Amino acid sequence: MRIHFEKRKTYSAKASVLTPVISFLVSLILTAVMLAAVKINPAEVYAAMFRGAFGTWRDFSETLVKAIPLILTSLGVATAFKLKFWNIGAEGQLVLGGIGASWVALFASAWLPPAILLPAAIIVGAVAGSVWAGVPALLKVKLGVDETLTTLMLNYVAIIAYDGIYTGPWRDPDGFGFPGSAMFPEAAWLPRLTGRTHAGLIFALIIAAVLWFAFYKTKWGFELQMIGNNKKAARVLGVNIGRNIIIALLISGAISGIAGACEVTGIARRLQQGLSLGYGYTAIIIAWMSRLNPAVCIPVSIIMAGLLVGGDSVQIMMGVPSAMGQVMQGMILFPMLAGSIFSEYRLRLSRDSAATAAPTEGGLA
Amino acid sequence: MKADDSHIDKNSPPMILEMRGITKSFPGVTANDNVNLELFKGEVLALLGENGAGKSSLMNVLVGLYRPDAGDIYVNGKKVHIHSPKDSMELGIGMVHQNFKLVDTMTVAENVILGEQEQRFAPKMKEVSTRIREISDHYGLNVAPDCYISELSVGERQRVEILKLIYRGAEILILDEPTAVLTPQESQDLYKTIRQMTSEGKSAIFITHKMDEVIRFSDWVRVLKKGKLAAVKRTADTTPTELARLMVGREVLFNIEKDEFKPGDTILQLKNVELKGSDGIKLLDNLNFEIRSGEILGIAGVAGNGQVELTEIITGLRTIDSGSILLNERDRTNKSPIEMIKSGVSHIPSDRVAMGIVGDMSVANNLAMKGYREKPIIRGGILRRARILDLAKRMISVFKISTPSTNTHVKFLSGGNIQKTILAREIDACGDLLVAAYPSRGLDVGATEAVRTEIVKQRDAGRAVLLVSEDLDELVSISDRIAVMFEGKIIGLVDSNTEHEKIGLMMAGIK
Amino acid sequence: MKTNRVAAVLIILLAVVLLAFTGCSKEEEAKVEEKAAVESEAADEPFKAAFVYIGIPGDLGWTYEHDRGRLAAVEALGDKIETAFVENVPEGPDATRVIRQLAQQGYKIIFTASFGYMDPTLEVAAEYPDVYFEHCSGYKTADNMANYFGRIYQSRYLSGIVAGAATKTGVIGYVGAFPIPEVVRGINAFTLGVQKTNPDAVVKVVWTNTWYDPVVEREAAVALLDAGADVIAQHQDTTEPQKAAAERDVWSIGYHSDMAKFVGDSVLVSAMWEFSHYYTTRIQAAMDGTWKTQSYWGGLADGDVKLSDFSPLVPAEIKDLVMAEQSKIESGEWDVFNGPVYDQSGAAVIADGAVPSDGDLANMSWFVKGVEGSVNQ
Repeated sequence: MRIHFEKRKTYSAKASVLTPVISFLVSLILTAVMLAAVKINPAEVYAAMFRGAFGTWRDFSETLVKAIPLILTSLGVATAFKLKFWNIGAEGQLVLGGIGASWVALFASAWLPPAILLPAAIIVGAVAGSVWAGVPALLKVKLGVDETLTTLMLNYVAIIAYDGIYTGPWRDPDGFGFPGSAMFPEAAWLPRLTGRTHAGLIFALIIAAVLWFAFYKTKWGFELQMIGNNKKAARVLGVNIGRNIIIALLISGAISGIAGACEVTGIARRLQQGLSLGYGYTAIIIAWMSRLNPAVCIPVSIIMAGLLVGGDSVQIMMGVPSAMGQVMQGMILFPMLAGSIFSEYRLRLSRDSAATAAPTEGGLA
Repeated sequence: MKADDSHIDKNSPPMILEMRGITKSFPGVTANDNVNLELFKGEVLALLGENGAGKSSLMNVLVGLYRPDAGDIYVNGKKVHIHSPKDSMELGIGMVHQNFKLVDTMTVAENVILGEQEQRFAPKMKEVSTRIREISDHYGLNVAPDCYISELSVGERQRVEILKLIYRGAEILILDEPTAVLTPQESQDLYKTIRQMTSEGKSAIFITHKMDEVIRFSDWVRVLKKGKLAAVKRTADTTPTELARLMVGREVLFNIEKDEFKPGDTILQLKNVELKGSDGIKLLDNLNFEIRSGEILGIAGVAGNGQVELTEIITGLRTIDSGSILLNERDRTNKSPIEMIKSGVSHIPSDRVAMGIVGDMSVANNLAMKGYREKPIIRGGILRRARILDLAKRMISVFKISTPSTNTHVKFLSGGNIQKTILAREIDACGDLLVAAYPSRGLDVGATEAVRTEIVKQRDAGRAVLLVSEDLDELVSISDRIAVMFEGKIIGLVDSNTEHEKIGLMMAGIK
Repeated sequence: MKTNRVAAVLIILLAVVLLAFTGCSKEEEAKVEEKAAVESEAADEPFKAAFVYIGIPGDLGWTYEHDRGRLAAVEALGDKIETAFVENVPEGPDATRVIRQLAQQGYKIIFTASFGYMDPTLEVAAEYPDVYFEHCSGYKTADNMANYFGRIYQSRYLSGIVAGAATKTGVIGYVGAFPIPEVVRGINAFTLGVQKTNPDAVVKVVWTNTWYDPVVEREAAVALLDAGADVIAQHQDTTEPQKAAAERDVWSIGYHSDMAKFVGDSVLVSAMWEFSHYYTTRIQAAMDGTWKTQSYWGGLADGDVKLSDFSPLVPAEIKDLVMAEQSKIESGEWDVFNGPVYDQSGAAVIADGAVPSDGDLANMSWFVKGVEGSVNQ
């Protein structure tokens, strides 16, 4: 028996729906085998995870708290990835958004009317994220600098700057020198909907809807698709690639910046440790699994948030080490990523009696 | 079809290769359906067929790249099993693929012995070189063993491939579209080499599109159509017209009808245009010409003499270093692609898959890639899907694009249909000037005819056409004037009824 | 047909997993029965106490010490209590969720053992007035939320005396997590100890901006070693800086736990935490209903901080000097920051004879003379 991968000749709608579902099931089965191997009852673990993430309204609200930055950053990432511009800097753009919003909340409250303090904080956060993504875009367009490197490195710059700011100049003067800014004035608090779920959820849903419309229904989306799939042809057909990259990246960074602004104004309500938790990296996986479709980013982000939140519950309820939680998250992600290969390739089992040189047809060789 | 056996002559030389009942299917396609093939010692067999008729897949079965679902292969009357190119080489069967399989950073000699079996010791390069020189001289291949592949022209690389097969003892040589990349002169040399080989009892199989090549050069013709063997003919007993009919199932219109040449106003004018490459070498050197409305200007030349650059400066993809480009007497020098499009320039690019389409988007979307900027497709920045589909359906029927649906990703279409998609889009949006680079390259007879007819229609409708082609027949049959390019210069601007030989000489740089 | 085969493979896999499940659940049933038996013997439900950790108990540092305290409480109170801990909980929004989940699941007292848990603890404490919360190393309290910490600076000072005696280059490296008062105070106390035996030595500080990151901690130590330090001290959560020093054959001073156990004799002495006493008494108080909110700051005299045994490499006269200083502090006769204390510019921030208040100590954000580094990074 032999297993071949054959490149699909046509796209199968069935495969693109079934693939993630089956991958997810396979993930659960593999993880169950692993858990059983270390004598942990998988059924209990899954039940604990599910209860922890979705069991009560309050748990679900916590899952949403984690899903909001994931949805927003994955939308930001997807916007850049549409162009095959590998923006892996969502983390840094989020952090900059947080810094920008904090600046308004902390220092502009003196002269800004309270009514516009919060909108101003969000907007400045978006602009800060935008600038952070715009720099690599400009470098790429004008000088051809590889964006993977610049966006990644700017993450570190952003995180170090942020650490420096809340431990240094913006440290709460009444905070006994402990790291972290002062609490924002209440006018700069993002309203909460339920539990800690804040209005960032509404931004996330609106932005997802707008992006979906823009991607699939507008001239701009059409051009993004052309550039992303064949840059050369897009150029021949008169599309201005440089301008599109810059516009898309400004939007991409703005969305991640909003994520950061919502985190600081909606959750911590001050600039302190715990803003950079890797959302910007998880967002890459989410965007990819969602096939860059903004509508799909929402459920995928919620599932991913559920995995993260549920993983903690497993730790609490079953005394499983936190490392096991991380292994489980990895085990669940891996087949889902591997599964994406099935929408491009199909698996073929064939019986070959002759044990001779393998045919190269459609193979991976 | 029982055509096979009746044609075997008692006086024929011995049969050295026979393929019997070969069937090979891929998901959704039967590439070969019960195909038979016979090859006689010292003869040349031409395999003729449209794109996708199953020629290449049959040959890939023969050299062990594909394994047939059914059928047997006999070499010298003995049944053989071929599982890999190595097996086929051991049986004396070798193939020159369209994309050469040479390592650029190695010398000719190193490539020739690369992958040879049983090399326990370092090969004695001197002996190898000597042997290569012998073969080269004997067959007129003119290959130097110590040259690096990267220094060689396409034609020379092809000769290295042939030499490699002879060196390894090939008795049967398979050539896949060998003359597609050659100048007329190089093609002649190739014919001579093959003739030399057949006179020594070797045999050859030729995969080709070109009818005249078949007639001039082969002993037998097998025509494949949609995976099946459509006919077996002795070349002496057939005509191009008959073969074309067998191939496409209808008479191919080789003489494309066109209206009388009545040029109008000057549309495009180039004045002292100069373009330098990054190394300072002049890619385009002092170009001066004009194209008038209702005129097709053919650009002839061996690939790499500035033709592609010429199309790129006119379409805004490259900026020139000096000179000027005028369109309808307006200066359009170094404008961006979109400005050139808006000035009425349409472009059928030289590399249709890489530059002409977005493979992962649907046929309908690809057809809309010119019109999406304007009403009625767009309104207020929003694309109107229904209008895109209307446009697509209209274009598909007018240009006879064969596609499963408007939604099919365009990369799944055949080369001919991809080109028709580009043509439909470009012509629909065409203003005064159509720039077409190699529009029929690699297309089958039917698609070639459709493309040429369409280009002529544009001329008859009063547009100016710049046609770059490697195919002299094409240039001569549809152009009104022909400019020959050599090393970035226009070496001659002649009437289209000039003799082939004269144009051929100019292409080689001889005025 | 191909899909059938794939389906078959999936079904087989599923069957294997189901078998595994049934195997497990049988074991599980047995456990539950046992548990039930135990529970019925006890008078009532065990009192549930939970701990939230920033690292893992295996860090051999901060979290290890807290977990040692937890185990001591379990040892002391036995069946009457049931404890749980959650490890690797990042400071910030995730902490709130974890603390809340614990409160929701019936834990009656929850210890949150990192500075960054302060606001999350306060937030959850407001939602669960019937649950007692104990936050370590912060400054905020509520009716049902106490904070606790120890005067580790006293142990630091004593360990500094050993370091000062050991250094030959006169350069001591100090890997610091964050420039916050807790860490600054420790560095100052340590430096004052160093100056007791080596008045000219300098203490070079490198900030890592992380409590727990073995790789970064090691890199910082290596940088200090490269800068000429021959004794390494640290305010971090792992033993990596000490290990880096041992690999260069130079000395180090441990922190949190008795790091000589994990690194070897090159750790001359360690400034240690001892939470067992506090955890046991607080859980007991919560059970008895006598729990009251407080800001607790215990020192050497209370047994909440201590010094480890000395490495055999420490000469007897140094040991004697340390012991003498220790008894001075324990007796309350003198404390580390009694004036005069000079800052980096040489100004006497604490005047001769002055005794700083706990508030001054809690807010300390300046370095004493002899420290090379900046509180503003």
